[in-house]
Amino acid sequence: MGSSLPAKEANLFKIIVKSYETKQYKKGLKAADSILKKFPEHGETLSMKGLTLNCMDRKTEAYELVRRGLKNDLKSHVCWHVYGLLYRSDREYREAIKCYRNALRIDPDNIEILRDLSLLQAQMRDLSGFVETRQQLLTLKPNHRMNWIGFAVAHHLNSNSSKAIEVLEAYEGTLEDDYPPENERYEHSEMLLYKISLFEECGMLDKAVEEMHKKESKIVDKLSFREQMACILLKLGRFEESEKIYRSLLFMNPDNYKYFIAIQKCLDMYSENGQYSTDDIERLQALYKSLKEEYGWSSAVKRIPLDFLDGEKFQEAADNYVRPLLTKGVPSLFSDLSPLYEHPGKANILEELFLKLEDSIRTSGCFPGSSHMEPPSTLMWTMFLISQHYDRRGQYDIALDKIDEAISHTPTGKILQHAGNFPAAAALVDEARSMDLADRYLNSECVMQMLQADQVGLAEKTAVLFTKDGDQHNNLHDMQCMWYELASGESYYRQGDLGRALKNFLAVEKHYADMTEDQFDFHSYCLRKMTLRAYVSMLKFQDRLHAHEYFHKAAAGAIRCYMKLHDSPSKSSTEENDEMSKLPPAQRKKLRQKQKKAEARAKREAEEKQEDETTSSNTSKSGKKQNTRPVDLDPHGEKLVQIEDPLAEGTKYLKLLQNNSADSLETHALSFELNMRKQKILLGFQAVKQLIKLDESNPDSHRCLIKFFHKINNLPSPGTDSEKLIWNVLEAERPDLRQLHGKSLAEVNRSFLEKHNASLIHRAAAAEMMYLLEPDKKLEAIKLIEDSVNNTASGNGAPGPAREWNIQDCIDVHKLLVTIFGDQDVANSWKTRCAEYFPYSTYFEGSKSATAAYSAVSLEDSSENGVLANVQVKTVDGKTCTLNGTVDELCDLSIS
Amino acid sequence: MGAGEGDASATKEKGGVDRTSLDGVRDNNVMQLKKLNTVLFPVRYNDKYYKDTIASKDFSKLAYYSDICVGAIACRLEKKEGGAVCVYIMTLGVLAPYRGLGIGSKLLNCVLDLCEKQDVPEIYLHVQTNNDDAISFYKKFGFEITKTIEKYYKNIMPPDCYVLTKFIGQAATKK
Repeated sequence: MGSSLPAKEANLFKIIVKSYETKQYKKGLKAADSILKKFPEHGETLSMKGLTLNCMDRKTEAYELVRRGLKNDLKSHVCWHVYGLLYRSDREYREAIKCYRNALRIDPDNIEILRDLSLLQAQMRDLSGFVETRQQLLTLKPNHRMNWIGFAVAHHLNSNSSKAIEVLEAYEGTLEDDYPPENERYEHSEMLLYKISLFEECGMLDKAVEEMHKKESKIVDKLSFREQMACILLKLGRFEESEKIYRSLLFMNPDNYKYFIAIQKCLDMYSENGQYSTDDIERLQALYKSLKEEYGWSSAVKRIPLDFLDGEKFQEAADNYVRPLLTKGVPSLFSDLSPLYEHPGKANILEELFLKLEDSIRTSGCFPGSSHMEPPSTLMWTMFLISQHYDRRGQYDIALDKIDEAISHTPTGKILQHAGNFPAAAALVDEARSMDLADRYLNSECVMQMLQADQVGLAEKTAVLFTKDGDQHNNLHDMQCMWYELASGESYYRQGDLGRALKNFLAVEKHYADMTEDQFDFHSYCLRKMTLRAYVSMLKFQDRLHAHEYFHKAAAGAIRCYMKLHDSPSKSSTEENDEMSKLPPAQRKKLRQKQKKAEARAKREAEEKQEDETTSSNTSKSGKKQNTRPVDLDPHGEKLVQIEDPLAEGTKYLKLLQNNSADSLETHALSFELNMRKQKILLGFQAVKQLIKLDESNPDSHRCLIKFFHKINNLPSPGTDSEKLIWNVLEAERPDLRQLHGKSLAEVNRSFLEKHNASLIHRAAAAEMMYLLEPDKKLEAIKLIEDSVNNTASGNGAPGPAREWNIQDCIDVHKLLVTIFGDQDVANSWKTRCAEYFPYSTYFEGSKSATAAYSAVSLEDSSENGVLANVQVKTVDGKTCTLNGTVDELCDLSIS
Repeated sequence: MGAGEGDASATKEKGGVDRTSLDGVRDNNVMQLKKLNTVLFPVRYNDKYYKDTIASKDFSKLAYYSDICVGAIACRLEKKEGGAVCVYIMTLGVLAPYRGLGIGSKLLNCVLDLCEKQDVPEIYLHVQTNNDDAISFYKKFGFEITKTIEKYYKNIMPPDCYVLTKFIGQAATKK
């Protein structure tokens, strides 16, 4: 490095490099400048100066210098390396890899560059390249532990576990017998456990056990050792030994459900689907009875039997389980029990049990059969539990009655409830929140309800109460508070504010990009610290990252926004233009100037603010370079709305969804919508095929299928070659769709209807399609919807009828009637009908929906509640409701 | 203002005291006191009441039964002529289902102990003349009737009240 310079300058060059490494950028800059005085075109110096400037936030200069440096000295690996580093700092990893490769061509054995390259390859999952680079590093420096380990991990990631084991064994062969020294025992132990997990992965179970016995003394993480041992023994079918270890593990943590399940497996008493024969149940019951004697303080041992017991035994066990928790007052009791509601029989037993308990406490103050006086709060908790029970069963009336009773019993209990009445729920929760301003959970719950009720402004105010600086909205973003961003995105979307909606959705997407980014530091850190098992599982997690539910929601939300933008291009600009065109030219000019001035002012202010922040953070002198937050120039997402090609943007996110949530119906429904808008017939067809494959009886799948072929049938016959090609593909594929065999679309629709005759959403889909296919049958279609029957749920002996329809479906149907059928009268009568089913719904303006009537005790002085009461849930007008992926109609589609 | 309503007659089982804990009244939880008062008393208290309560610091307490707020004592600190501070109990109350568990006594005792520690010479309250339960409750703690004020209450019958006072630090009261 620094070659071709005279001694003095060569020394200065060393100073630049050292200053860069020690982050003394000013010093480095000075040294660079004094070299450049004499040798203004010295490539490596120019490059290093650029790199230094890059760290001082002077990006454009940096790129300029680095590029000039490279041009002056194309044969220097330093210049290429620096160029790569620059790209890396801007997260342009592909470009960075190219630069490194060029550098290595010049200096193939440069260890630093090889190491940097290997990190990027790991990040980009260029696994075969990663193996190669790691091998080179090992060949160059075989005495480094990290190089051995790195090579092994590379093989493992590249799905070659047995090779990885070989590498590790070879590495062990280089070690002395008394290895490891005291201060590296943990690292060594982690390596051994990693190797054992590799054995396990390759199915070499006996080998794994053998290894574990041999190395037991060197493994310091005894818990992992035992867990792994027990797990491998179980796989080997050495049940007795495995069970013994699991029991000893239970002694350490008697509430780990995994241990219980494993013991069941050891004893051949486990079934994946939770189905057991009477015989099994008896054996299980005996098992847990004995476990309970041993681990009496475990709550898992009492809870698990509720899953497999049934009938009287279930009732008895549930009774024993619930009583002490009611006495103690455990608010989460219901969510603990709620999985049991999957079995309708159990729900009925629970109901009976709860009512019996309530009655007994009410009359005697004791639980049935007990003479011990219960504390008064038990009654309240019991009523609370019963209320949640009815809420779960959809019997909102009784649920609300119960909760009211509980509230009047103990009005300060923090109780929340909702039944399709979002503003009321928000007001109630806000009241609960005001009871204890220091309760983070209530605060969050409150914000969520407000967002559901589209009270975004209020919600934001409330949400920031719990952020650090109190008034910084950005803080929520920094904390990656995604549920908040998602919910406000959805809310803005409902209100038609696409800019802000997009902004929120994209913020979530950004978080995920950041998370992918965050793994970068671990590639070197984990190899050094030997936390290999954690490292590999982290990488696997990262690979699945974008399949996460929040990302899915955000991407779907963004795609919907983009489609809506496409269907009705940016309102703000067209409206503005309309307004402007009404004005005389002179005034128009004035207005324009005014706008420009305002924009400029806003920009200036933003910049000033940024400068302020920069200076203040510099003066704060906190050693480390502080990240100054760039001021958000587009707080309302107005720029986001004005993009050229919203569909192309949407496609970006669609691709991520298709790669990561291929099993979701919504993904393909969105793909269908998007591609049909883009006139990509074949891609649209693919989406239809996927939908049918995933769930042919889903109403959305059905809609897409019919819409697609309806569209195709109505197209003019193909003209160009490419059109003919598409046509041929469709003709060839068509017979594969079983649904269509020899039937007209109308017939397909009819048979779909017959199959799912009893379901509201299916009927609605069929009606919508009937209207699409045969517009003259509009009345018949509407009648189809109107004739739907809201059945009383069967097998329920409880007081008050529980009905099958849920409120969201009914709202969707209402929107369908308004937008597709455009029949206000029918829609209104539907609304009236639903208002009866959902008396608390503000959407249907049910009889009990007025917030004031329901706000338990409206305190006069809390004016906030008063304000809330006037806010109604806004209807999404215009397009169909897209909350749950209902499909829009297609218009003006043709092959061009 | 200030109908002493504590009618917790601590005669029943005392099991409740173990489950009860006390906490001060602050901005963050004053809404709980408001909520309690709407249920406990027929009077709606004004903002000054709550300000005084919070200002009295440790002399006002909320009682939590298994983490549920079920009762409160709210006091006001008053300056007497000569500079001595005395305590006026504005309200003391416990939710109906939780009465008879000794929670009221616990609240009052807490305040009395504090008075003793801080050398507060006098603690007093007003009580409607027909509220026998309350009167006997306070008498058990060494309060005595020191005055009768006629037509103290405007909207309730009888309108007269007693002033119940406990002098602290003097040789134990005559009782």
